[in-house]
Amino acid sequence: MIQQIVKRDGRKAPFEIEKIAGAIFGAAQASGGQDYEMARDLAGQVEKALEIVAAGETPTVEQIQDTVEKVLIKNGHARTAKKYILYRNERTRVREMNTRLMKVYEDLTFQSSLENDVKRENANIDGDTAMGTMLKYGSEGAKQFYEMFILDPAHAKAHREGDIHIHDLDFLTLTTTCCQIDLLKLFSGGFSTGHGFLREPNDIRSYSALACIAIQSNQNDQHGGQSVPNFDYSMAPGVKKTFRKLFRDNLAKALEVFGADENNEIDAKALTERIELQTGKWACLAGGNGYDEAMAAALAETLDEKNAARCVAFARKYADKETRKATYQAMEALVHNLNTMHSRAGAQIPFSSLNYGTDTSPEGRLAVEQLLLATEAGLGNGETPIFPIHIFKVKEGVNYNEGDPNYDLFKLACRVSAKRMFPNFSFLDAPFNKKYYKPGHPDTEASYMGCRTRVIGNHFDPTREIVTGRGNLSFTSVNLPRIAIRSHGDIDWFFEDLDRKIDLVIEQLLARFRIQCNKRVRNYPFLMGEGVWIDSDKLGPDDQVGEVLKHGTLTLGFIGLAECLKALIGKHHGESDEAQNLGLEIVSHMRERMDKASDRYNLNFSLIATPAEGLSGRFVKIDRQKYGKIDGVTDRDYYTNSFHVPVYYSISAFDKIAREAPYHEMTNGGHISYIELDGDPSQNLEAFEAVVRAMKEAGIGYGAINHPIDRDPVCGYTGIIGETCPRCGRHEGEGVPLSKLQKLGLYKELNSMTLGYHGDPAEEADRQPNELKIVKD
Amino acid sequence: MEKTMMQEQLIGEGVGFERIRRITGYLVGTLDRFNNAKRAEVQDRVKHDTMCCSLTEEHTA
Repeated sequence: MIQQIVKRDGRKAPFEIEKIAGAIFGAAQASGGQDYEMARDLAGQVEKALEIVAAGETPTVEQIQDTVEKVLIKNGHARTAKKYILYRNERTRVREMNTRLMKVYEDLTFQSSLENDVKRENANIDGDTAMGTMLKYGSEGAKQFYEMFILDPAHAKAHREGDIHIHDLDFLTLTTTCCQIDLLKLFSGGFSTGHGFLREPNDIRSYSALACIAIQSNQNDQHGGQSVPNFDYSMAPGVKKTFRKLFRDNLAKALEVFGADENNEIDAKALTERIELQTGKWACLAGGNGYDEAMAAALAETLDEKNAARCVAFARKYADKETRKATYQAMEALVHNLNTMHSRAGAQIPFSSLNYGTDTSPEGRLAVEQLLLATEAGLGNGETPIFPIHIFKVKEGVNYNEGDPNYDLFKLACRVSAKRMFPNFSFLDAPFNKKYYKPGHPDTEASYMGCRTRVIGNHFDPTREIVTGRGNLSFTSVNLPRIAIRSHGDIDWFFEDLDRKIDLVIEQLLARFRIQCNKRVRNYPFLMGEGVWIDSDKLGPDDQVGEVLKHGTLTLGFIGLAECLKALIGKHHGESDEAQNLGLEIVSHMRERMDKASDRYNLNFSLIATPAEGLSGRFVKIDRQKYGKIDGVTDRDYYTNSFHVPVYYSISAFDKIAREAPYHEMTNGGHISYIELDGDPSQNLEAFEAVVRAMKEAGIGYGAINHPIDRDPVCGYTGIIGETCPRCGRHEGEGVPLSKLQKLGLYKELNSMTLGYHGDPAEEADRQPNELKIVKD
Repeated sequence: MEKTMMQEQLIGEGVGFERIRRITGYLVGTLDRFNNAKRAEVQDRVKHDTMCCSLTEEHTA
């Protein structure tokens, strides 16, 4: 007698013969049968057969269903058997559909990104495209697989339940986060991105194009962003080479005009080689290195002095002009490329960041100036570029004060940022950045990823506290508000539980690191294969990457300090000094734990003020379900970012800066502070600059200023738009009469040619009307 | 390029305004791409006043 069965979820249930009879009867009915007695009889046969099949064990549902099929077929009920089998398969399919992953896929497939929040997890990816959705399929499937088979169950549980958040979980077994790319090193000698070799570039336009290619290639090897820590230093050689070439080319023209030289190109080349050998210098942007004088002297051997001088002046004038133009166009192309090229199976634009501002060479300065001007001009219709993220490195003695060599660039950066929200500003004089700085060594200038990640200190190798070739390996955030909620105001308990969570995170970061270490160079064809990551050039394609990865950071993050403090003592740190003191204690404790872990494991553990895009809503949603709606804690749809004063809290710019600054020092893995400005800061550059200066003086490491940038695509107006467009007066969605637009100077040719395009200032001034000549044979 | 006497061609019907906002450190051209949590946060954002501090201001009694 069979007493029990084992259900699919493993639980035991009583054996009910009527259920089997019912199932058989249902299948029989589907093929026209009516006899319940027969069904009952068949069920009895099934039970007897089961006793043999199960042989003393408790039969499973699968065994029962197998046996039903056999019995039906044995008794000649072929049609019933067929119906039963089909129904069973249908039930199985429905069951699989109902598993969580399949539900996720269903939502991804059939819902638009408007309806589906998961599709908007990363605003940089268009979740509505085929590639964007395919990326999501892969990502969700991978996460499920890791949760079931790869992650330590304790870590999986903590992540699932919202105690911690393992960022970029979908890439757990695959790669690391990001890298600060040294373009100087990469370009030197040329490089490859898979097929074909790219020679060392010889012109600023090639430098800019290859910079984009490097960023795009790296994006395929890692799951985070790409930053260039020394962009101006990297582009300067391109400007140098371009000037040299243009000087020679224009010298050739001058020789023909002033020297009636029919062999001008060969002569110009020969002269250039001779003078370069003689002086050991190239013709350069700033002049003053003796080259021009030496060239004039050489020319005076065949021309009279006056014409020799004219040739040099001509060559210099046009080399200068054309170099500026070429540099502008190179930077304009860079900005356009970084806003339009797709990476990662075509699903997203590379997340690119450029740090610059400290190269005082004329060439580096020119590159920065033109990059800023191109950014100010905008994209094809004057739109604000989304990428790259620009970070202007503020440094006393270099660009901060009047009289500093790059002060003009700082002013220009402020002007452009007031319009375009980039550049952001990093501060090399913040004590925690300054301590690494060695003048003349750009790789000791603190650099930030656009998102805020910072990698400069190096516990693993203190002789290499540099930015180039290093980045973050992975990061995991802790849910601070939850610990606070659960502590019920008991601060000691709070710190104890915080420590328990940090223990778990350290364990988890190490576990992930072990997986990452087992990868080989061939898993990172660009990042390691081309020697971008520090010391990877010393490895062969099949070598494991563990040792060189140790230069990267393993990082603990956090979210919601404000809500945490609110839950602990009823106030957040924007509104209370007591809360601020407690906040500082909490964050400095987390930093201490990371420093200790670095000591213990001889690795680079660090603390980051988590950027939190996808995470911003995840924890609070779970916490609201678990603990209900708590005023000022779980009553919003997001947790406040990292250590920020809540966005809804009314506070002056300078007070916010003062409140947040001390946390920058503690979050050595990355930090940022934002100020929201009302109105159009382009109309008040003084106020804008005052905010930047306040950041510097307060010891902020990285800051950005937000203001609304609205644009009307119809008339091209960029600025602040309320209900109606200030230029053409239309409401959103409203049409404007063509004549009105034409009166404003737009749509002259009934297209977008005269619409908002700011163009190339160097080129537009040059435009001359074309003369038409009739050519006779 | 004809302009009919009775009806003038309207440009831009159904075309919205672009509102570029900073999400977490990078810009996005439209709030459509923001996830729900970030949207809620953007809604809540207040402006920070820069009026109070001026180093050159003199306070008279």
